Amino acid sequence: MPTAYLSAMTSPSKTPPVGRVVATELKPSTPHQFYFWTARESPVGIGAIVRVDGEGRVAFGVVTDGFAYSDLSTPIHAVIAAEGDPGAAWRDPTDRVEIRLYAAAVLRHMPEEPLQPVALGEVHLATDDDVVLALRMDGYTVGPNATGIPTGVYAAGGLEAPVYLDADFLLGPEAAHFNVTGVSGLATKTSAVEFLISSTFQTFPAHKGSVAAVCFNVKGPDLLFLDQPGTITDEDRRLYQRLGLNPVPFPNVRYYAPFKADGVNLNSLRTHEGLQSTTEPLVWGLREVLDYAEVLLNRDDIDAKADAFIDFLAERVVGKPYTDDLLENRTFEVKSFADLDAFFRAIFAFMEQMGKGGEVWRTHHIATIRKVRNRLGNISTRSKGLVTDAGQVNDLPWQHFEDRSVHVIDVAGLDPLAQDLVFARVVSKLREHLERRDLGVQHVMVFVDELNKYAPADGQDTYVRKMLLDLSERGRYLGLVLFSAQQFRSQVQRRVVGNAGTAVYGRMDSDELAMPGYGTLSPATKAKLASLPKGELMIRHPHFTQPIFVRFPRPAMLSGREGVERFPPAPDLPFMEAVVRRLRSLVPKVSRDQIASLIDGRREDEVRQALHATIRTRPEDPIAFFRNCLGRRIAAEAPAERRGVRGVRGANDPYANS
Amino acid sequence: MPVGGRIRKFLEDHGHPAVHVPAVGSHGRSEDAKTALAEVVGGAPLTIVPVGSPTPCPHSMAFLDGIQHHELVGYIGNLPVIEATVAAAVRERQGRSLRTIEVVRESLVLARPAALAALRSALEPARAIALPDRDPEHPVRDVELARAEIDRARMRLERLVRDRYRAKRDAWLIVDGSLAESPLWTSDARMLGVAKSHATMPFDGEDLSTYLRLPFGHRTSLFRPASRRETPVFAWGLRLWPWAGKDVLYGLVRLETPATPAAASMADEISRWVLAERAPISTPDPRWDRLLYGVHLVEEYLRVSGEP
Repeated sequence: MPTAYLSAMTSPSKTPPVGRVVATELKPSTPHQFYFWTARESPVGIGAIVRVDGEGRVAFGVVTDGFAYSDLSTPIHAVIAAEGDPGAAWRDPTDRVEIRLYAAAVLRHMPEEPLQPVALGEVHLATDDDVVLALRMDGYTVGPNATGIPTGVYAAGGLEAPVYLDADFLLGPEAAHFNVTGVSGLATKTSAVEFLISSTFQTFPAHKGSVAAVCFNVKGPDLLFLDQPGTITDEDRRLYQRLGLNPVPFPNVRYYAPFKADGVNLNSLRTHEGLQSTTEPLVWGLREVLDYAEVLLNRDDIDAKADAFIDFLAERVVGKPYTDDLLENRTFEVKSFADLDAFFRAIFAFMEQMGKGGEVWRTHHIATIRKVRNRLGNISTRSKGLVTDAGQVNDLPWQHFEDRSVHVIDVAGLDPLAQDLVFARVVSKLREHLERRDLGVQHVMVFVDELNKYAPADGQDTYVRKMLLDLSERGRYLGLVLFSAQQFRSQVQRRVVGNAGTAVYGRMDSDELAMPGYGTLSPATKAKLASLPKGELMIRHPHFTQPIFVRFPRPAMLSGREGVERFPPAPDLPFMEAVVRRLRSLVPKVSRDQIASLIDGRREDEVRQALHATIRTRPEDPIAFFRNCLGRRIAAEAPAERRGVRGVRGANDPYANS
Repeated sequence: MPVGGRIRKFLEDHGHPAVHVPAVGSHGRSEDAKTALAEVVGGAPLTIVPVGSPTPCPHSMAFLDGIQHHELVGYIGNLPVIEATVAAAVRERQGRSLRTIEVVRESLVLARPAALAALRSALEPARAIALPDRDPEHPVRDVELARAEIDRARMRLERLVRDRYRAKRDAWLIVDGSLAESPLWTSDARMLGVAKSHATMPFDGEDLSTYLRLPFGHRTSLFRPASRRETPVFAWGLRLWPWAGKDVLYGLVRLETPATPAAASMADEISRWVLAERAPISTPDPRWDRLLYGVHLVEEYLRVSGEP
């Protein structure tokens, strides 16, 4: 039995009593709840953790509700006493006797058995040691295999104590996933996630292995400056110290953003020249898209015929030579959307040639083929910049994830369909590699904001929602953990948020708090949630039998808003200037003229292809590599001067001499 | 186990009847209705004086009260055994809240000597009071005699807490009832009795009409109550609440101060203080129209604060 446990059992609290348990027939003390009164000026408040010493027993509770009333039997008597003048009431020589009565929910009994009602004893504010015991943190914050991850500071009545989450219940395998909810701008959801990831990176125990984070930046510049130090106050620094953490930004962050439609300017707000070296383009080709074609199909599209045709394309056509006797024995080598389109055109030409009876090609009806062509073509059009026609790919470093690395994928500027594609593919790839144990790390935290958009409670069942559900239900066995956030928890698929072992609530909207999902919270707790200051959160965690309020410091990295002020995005450049900028991120000293001479007269798609290959390969000599990719310049042939045909001169020609 | 329970068990164990009977008038002192004509200071007739607006007392103020409770717990033969609790306290107003400065409690067992002898060890820690056994056995009379003894025991405790309080503090001390309980009280320039009971009428005829029809916010002229010959006081009636449509005693209290010229000169000022003490009102106590909140809080404190 841990020393702290025995000590608590045998020695009374060292803090002076702040109250005393009372029990009446109508408000009895039970094994799960008790009431206590305090002095009017007591520091006890909603969310305070208290300790009750009984005969050989100790109980810990958290204050869930408060009541105050006087000995006034009916309000009319107050009116009578003041003779109808509200101002006169304050001149009463004696204040009415008033009680401050608090309801507390039991966090823990010691000993746990036999489970008995809370003793009618003295009530003390919990000290550091008491908080450890009350929240059962003694089981995972001490010893060589401790798995505690600091998440904030519990504070009440001038006392404060660090609160730890159990890594086994945050990142698996016992439980997993983290969800934060609260109103926009006040609930500090993004800050909470950033702080928790940072805390996890700093304290994740060595015996649990390695960990990385993949964050989807879905709006504005929210997550685009995680590698830059932000401004924190002295109070923040004190909190970091109290939690045993260093207030530093993430040291190892890679950013991925798709190109804009021009294929050279990044579709991101992190385009400041000074930050280019850590920002990479995210470019996918046909193969990357085709594997996740289901994402692109809506409910009406999903049928066995379309599925069969897509499977046929994936297995027989894409990425390998395909010869078809029906298509004049032509051999197709489909590597890009452009190749695929040529293949489709050949099929349609064949069908047209067949005329009547030519509605079917290799058991696939023309309508199915047209639908699949439209859907696949659609992604290449709507996500130009993410999906390349040319087949050159730049992707996350699968199999080379580094311990404590953060990978931010900026999808804020993408079409919703393309966002879905990015989510689906990245999460599926993470899952694949974690299953094969070849990702490079053993645990990955995937942060998805605006979860109500991607896994809504209502609406059609999309591929992304199914994928998030699968992740929340089975990810913990693989070390794939969902960190999610949303404004309204009630609008998210219940099983997705329900599977989050750790749930955090920031400032909440009162309409949201009126939803049935919050029925277990007391009115006072709801009132506190509706007015929580920034930096304060309510946490549910498997070890905590009741929700606990904690404060956490500002993350030590730049917020999105500060980031765009300090690192304003570079304006979009003309094609050539953009190419120069991209190459300069690899070779800072290269001159504009040098690049200009290389690409002068080249077609833009050729240059784009060479540029993407250079960025992806990161060769020792990028300029030489770029030049090679461009290939030998084929000199343009000057068209021979066309000689006109001489006119026929005749006597009858009236214009002969003109 | 409380004294009453222990005695009941003793009685049952020894074959005597044990009962649970709150005796008549068990929660308060006894008073007989009578008229004792008072002497109006300065000569008759009794006059009416407006006192002005309620004004909180600018000085420290404390409240003294006592409670008593008795119960018939059984019989030894034909002799009733009465168990009683008496307590008294002084609570001083500090800021706007009352703090208990002095409190004493006592547990009593009252019976004829023969019954007390039979009870022996079951009496501890209560104080045994022997009732007179000159007359033939008469349970009803014994209970009445016990009640008088309990009154005296409570008054003794009230005097005790007053003396202890006065040894420490010199705040104005408001007593629930008359000052005549002790010569020390009637010579204490900072004591004020507020009597709610009108069992003894100080006037008859026109003066009684004046007394009983006193308008709200007015007092009578000073008078010397006839029942206070050995401990003289100045007294006057004060109407705390408008009584139109209600009983003539509604909101009517009798204030008592030491019979000194200084006290007499403060009658209006003291009346204004008492008027201010009406609020907050002492509901749900049915006597709230005459019971000052400070006194009510002393009673409540004594009533709920544990066994003696």
